[in-house]
Amino acid sequence: MIQSQSRTASGDRFKIDLPPLARFLICRVIHIFVAIVGATVVLYGIMAMTPAETRAQLYMPPWDSPGGTKNLLQTIIKEQGLDDPLPVQYVRWASRLLQGDWGWSPIMREHVLPAMLRRTPATVELTLYSLLLFIPLGLTSGAIAGWKRRRLPDRGFQLIAFIATSIPPFVLALVLLAIFYVALPWFPPGRNGMAARSILSSSSFRAFTGLVTIDGLLNGRFDVTLDGLRHLVLPVVTLSLSHWATLGRVTRTAMIEELSKDYVNTARGKGLSMREAVWVHALRNAFIPGINSSAVSAASLVTGVFVVEIIFAYPGVSKVIGLAPLNNVTYMGAAVPDMAATMGFALYSILVVLPLMFLLDVLQALIDPRIREGVTE
Amino acid sequence: MKTWLFCWRNVLAVVIVGFFVIVAAAAPLLSPPDDPENPTPFRVLWGNTEPLPLPPNQDAPLGTVVYRGAEELFHFDVFHSLVWGTRAALRFGLVTALVTACFGILVGLTSGYVGGWFNSLAIRVTDVFLAFPMIAGVWLFRQILFDAYDQLHQATWLYVNWDAPDQPIAIVPTLLQRLLMANWLDPLMLTFILFSWMPYARIINAIVLREKQEEYVMAARSLGAGSARIIFRHLLPNVIAPAIVLVARDIGALVILQAAFTFVGINGTMGVQWEIGRWFSPVPEWARLLVMGREWIIGAYGNPFTYWWMYLPATLALILFGVGWNVLGDRLNVILNPRVS
Repeated sequence: MIQSQSRTASGDRFKIDLPPLARFLICRVIHIFVAIVGATVVLYGIMAMTPAETRAQLYMPPWDSPGGTKNLLQTIIKEQGLDDPLPVQYVRWASRLLQGDWGWSPIMREHVLPAMLRRTPATVELTLYSLLLFIPLGLTSGAIAGWKRRRLPDRGFQLIAFIATSIPPFVLALVLLAIFYVALPWFPPGRNGMAARSILSSSSFRAFTGLVTIDGLLNGRFDVTLDGLRHLVLPVVTLSLSHWATLGRVTRTAMIEELSKDYVNTARGKGLSMREAVWVHALRNAFIPGINSSAVSAASLVTGVFVVEIIFAYPGVSKVIGLAPLNNVTYMGAAVPDMAATMGFALYSILVVLPLMFLLDVLQALIDPRIREGVTE
Repeated sequence: MKTWLFCWRNVLAVVIVGFFVIVAAAAPLLSPPDDPENPTPFRVLWGNTEPLPLPPNQDAPLGTVVYRGAEELFHFDVFHSLVWGTRAALRFGLVTALVTACFGILVGLTSGYVGGWFNSLAIRVTDVFLAFPMIAGVWLFRQILFDAYDQLHQATWLYVNWDAPDQPIAIVPTLLQRLLMANWLDPLMLTFILFSWMPYARIINAIVLREKQEEYVMAARSLGAGSARIIFRHLLPNVIAPAIVLVARDIGALVILQAAFTFVGINGTMGVQWEIGRWFSPVPEWARLLVMGREWIIGAYGNPFTYWWMYLPATLALILFGVGWNVLGDRLNVILNPRVS
């Protein structure tokens, strides 16, 4: 007790008077940067467990004819100092990353970072629609199920959620393809149909955002938007279903717990109807565990996106590492190792996940003052 | 115990999981291999040149899947792989989940008990690992494994000594690469262990932080117990319940994730492995069945059920496996954490 008092006293000396939310935000941003540095250290630590020749692939120069380069890896090791102590190597590698040079991929035959940025809009489109689908649906359906506990909506929700979590996503993808692509030709795989692709590449069509559905609206080409949506239905459903079920279940449990608390009774005692007590008072608190669990499992979304993109032949960022995942990638008859694309994808996905976690944390803090004040029970 | 058995869901969970355990144990009886000395998870029906998969018949109770080799095609018995695949699934799930849990619990216990700056450091490290998507790790370790093969066999021009092509450059694989190549470590299993211990650490950490204020810890300390004794004899039994629930759920989830990765073609092992009996690198036969049946699922002119035996049994086995462990986890949760549920 004495210890903690003295600590706050010494902390007060440096305390700047900031609103709690601002302090929370600054704190989280610092955490993000620490996490990025930590993640790159972990990545390079894994690379440190490989021979220098493997690490040398990260510094591959762009080439046209492979036969022209002699003992390439040995030259790179000498030039880039890959025999130096590992911390020195790490700092060099990290500074190179900061300059935007993420390496050159022999499989794609282009630089890794531009290649990934070019494919980003497709993945963003897919992820955005599934987030917009499963977060509101998961929160509301879980809340309703928790409110109507052990009645019809709850039973129905529990059953559907159970089925949704039991079916592996890749099996679901196959079933959906078999029904809605083979049997009923409604939702084809890929990203655009033939007509839409030629409209997209025509000179009159301006790409504002890179998202097909939104660009189509901005250009007044509703057929492009419709075509994009048609291609998005199956991947989005596959991606969302399991996340929806998990989120809904967590929210349901939270809702049940919140409804048993005293403040709901107080609200009822003041004369509020049950509906008002649930939607005005309990709902806010019931959302928090769900958002927290989404933040924790944000990384699994990337894995899910990868599997979905491969199965539905969707040309997103996953193409960078999965150019031909079903066969071995070869170049002139031999397998080509491609460490630059691998490391680039790992880094990229971490840089995507961390801001997502940050956003969900901020959302949590906006809902719950206890979190932004740093109060723990 | 008696009241516990009255709930049908408890019975269901135990029956499903028990079923898989029995099938795994009795695999040699259920589907005797051709060569009992050296059993393989895939049984080839030799002498069949039929290009279409065979429907269920006397030799193969659940039909066959066709695997096209370079020059000839093989018919694999679905039932045989299904039965022997249970072993691989159980083995993979149990080993991975238990190792993960041990590691996570250890991290959570020590960081929570020591507290202070060490705890905040541990939480930061946990957060860093939480940001890693599984796929990035799987692909990274797979590349490292493939690269080791390339280096050893000088399979790509990158590793050829162009100044003197007849004198290969001696590249020594590192310990990690040697373990991967010897099938001692499965890239998938390695990734799953590396990137899924965080929930255990977080949940155990939170409970330990609360629990170490309790009087029994104080009492143990005043009796002269050391830190290790307090952690493992007093704290561990009181905080382990949520971790047990997580383990049960993870076993099913990890096997399904492994199948998903195998299905999209990024299982780290080289080609089709025929050997079994390696504890740390089991071949996921269920997923391999799905891989071999992949082209037949939607390619059969609008009727996905023409060749149902190529994918339905393996899929159902996977789903049942996942459901069984999931329900077991839920029921364990009800028993072990009665307040929450």
